[in-house]
Amino acid sequence: MRIVVTVKLVPDTAADKRIDPATKRLVRTGVDIVLNPFDEYAIEAALQLRDKLADGSTVTIFSMTPENGRDVVRKALAMGADDAVILSDPGLAGSDMWATAYALAHGIKAGGFDLVLTGTQSTDAISGDLPGMLAEYLGVPALTYARQLEIDGNRLRVKRETETGYQTASAPLPALASVTKSANEPRYPSLKGIMGAKKKDIKTLALADLGLTKAVGSDGSRTEVLALATPPAREKGRTITAAGGADGARAVLDFLKSRHLL
Amino acid sequence: MKDVIAFIEHKHGGARRSSIEALCAARSAADALGGSVHAVVAGPQAAAVAETLKVYPVDRIHVLDDASLAQAGVDPLVDALEVVARAAGPALVIVANTMIGRDVGSRFAGRVDAGINADITGIEVVDGRVVCVSPKLGGTTITSCAFKNCDYGVAAIRPNVFAVKAAAGAGEVIALAPSGKSYAVTVEDDVEEAAAELGVEEASVVVSGGRGMGGPEPFTGILHDLAEAFGGAVGASRAAVDAGWVSHSHQVGQTGKTISPSLYMAVGISGAIQHKVGMRTAATIVAINKDATVPIADFADLLVVGDAFAIVPELTKLVREAKTAHA
Repeated sequence: MRIVVTVKLVPDTAADKRIDPATKRLVRTGVDIVLNPFDEYAIEAALQLRDKLADGSTVTIFSMTPENGRDVVRKALAMGADDAVILSDPGLAGSDMWATAYALAHGIKAGGFDLVLTGTQSTDAISGDLPGMLAEYLGVPALTYARQLEIDGNRLRVKRETETGYQTASAPLPALASVTKSANEPRYPSLKGIMGAKKKDIKTLALADLGLTKAVGSDGSRTEVLALATPPAREKGRTITAAGGADGARAVLDFLKSRHLL
Repeated sequence: MKDVIAFIEHKHGGARRSSIEALCAARSAADALGGSVHAVVAGPQAAAVAETLKVYPVDRIHVLDDASLAQAGVDPLVDALEVVARAAGPALVIVANTMIGRDVGSRFAGRVDAGINADITGIEVVDGRVVCVSPKLGGTTITSCAFKNCDYGVAAIRPNVFAVKAAAGAGEVIALAPSGKSYAVTVEDDVEEAAAELGVEEASVVVSGGRGMGGPEPFTGILHDLAEAFGGAVGASRAAVDAGWVSHSHQVGQTGKTISPSLYMAVGISGAIQHKVGMRTAATIVAINKDATVPIADFADLLVVGDAFAIVPELTKLVREAKTAHA
């Protein structure tokens, strides 16, 4: 089985992120670029499935990134993935969610897949819309927010989070699943893994390899940023020291009443 | 884009509040565009849900009442939405930015090559174009984003931001024909965990616990009781989730959910940046912490310095009394 994991490269979560007012795009220079932390759960889930199947199944990392993302993709290989593909083309710059999902789907289809795993969201855009859109362009069912995954013959079965509990759901392969943070504890690359990753293949795809019929990049995108603004900062409020439980509770209650929250 | 279509999530015969918010946002947008407001309701008890929508400003309510859809995941819901959208012509589709809303909105967008704007806190119509307002980068930047190159646009609105107005519209109910498809996804089991009536994204009051809780018990004990007294939900910081005290679906922050409740109570949470970005747009923030120097002191409306384990149970009593007095 060929398992493909999509990964996004994002500014370090601790970095001070900003948008360039001229291009209205996220500034990606001068900040450390890391693997989207949410994607590490998808990688770990893929490795566990592969190792459990132990039937020659493979895990391929797939990322749409400029060339400078190659080193970060290698970290995913160091975790134990078999190979990687980067979709890298200046014509993809400025792609919105639609253009990204559309191009990614064609890139993934070009190499073939039985199962696509994604994170549930990225730490920079936080839209959570990629898994559904990608599944649509791949033409496969999606089992989102999976916290437990198993292959049962030709079906993928997951336990998936819902807002009020969980579901058990399954779908025939090929399929897509997004993997939540509660699914696993992503492994750290071992020294052996890091050394081995240097020899693993990272293939590069360009737009011309995809045979797209619709334009992508900023011109082809379906959304455009018109304006940016800075919201007013929250002001520092009051601090009260409570003498005891009843005293503290009364202070909160009075405050909530003053705000008409009770 | 002229007409506006609100996708309605529902369970147990009632529409989710965030979907009513979507419906009311649809009215304002449709009025500015000179179009009609459609609601799409599909699944078990959809006809009953449609009746409850008639008090809101909706022109046409498209209904697919079919209990079997509950076992097929979101695919039949996307199909129902697509049928209504194709008949309406170029339109704005509004979904709530919830787990189901995102799944339906994103699949629909892929289906019709639509642009999608996520986590929307404002919708404007400027020179006939729909412009979506959305906080980005943890609320430090507000973007205004328009659709282009597409007949359909999807706006996923943040719950608890758009106002609900009860003002009846034409409310014409139209039955949708079943698709006749067999769907790939099978939901084999659907478990609602007690104490989780509302998700943190949708609750108007969220009571969150952090590292200061010291273990899992408060999340099913004192925090749960206070949340229940408010009719709200229990949230958590990353520290509490990573410690295994509470499940990830409760996590608020950069690697969890971004929420805007009317009241956010941070109990034993320091308020580091990764948490702050998930809750800074709450209307009111109250923190309880034993340490007066925590970062949350700088942006909470009220910080009570004291022992949360003593304060929270007392507060629960007072909130219950206040609620009973009003009832």
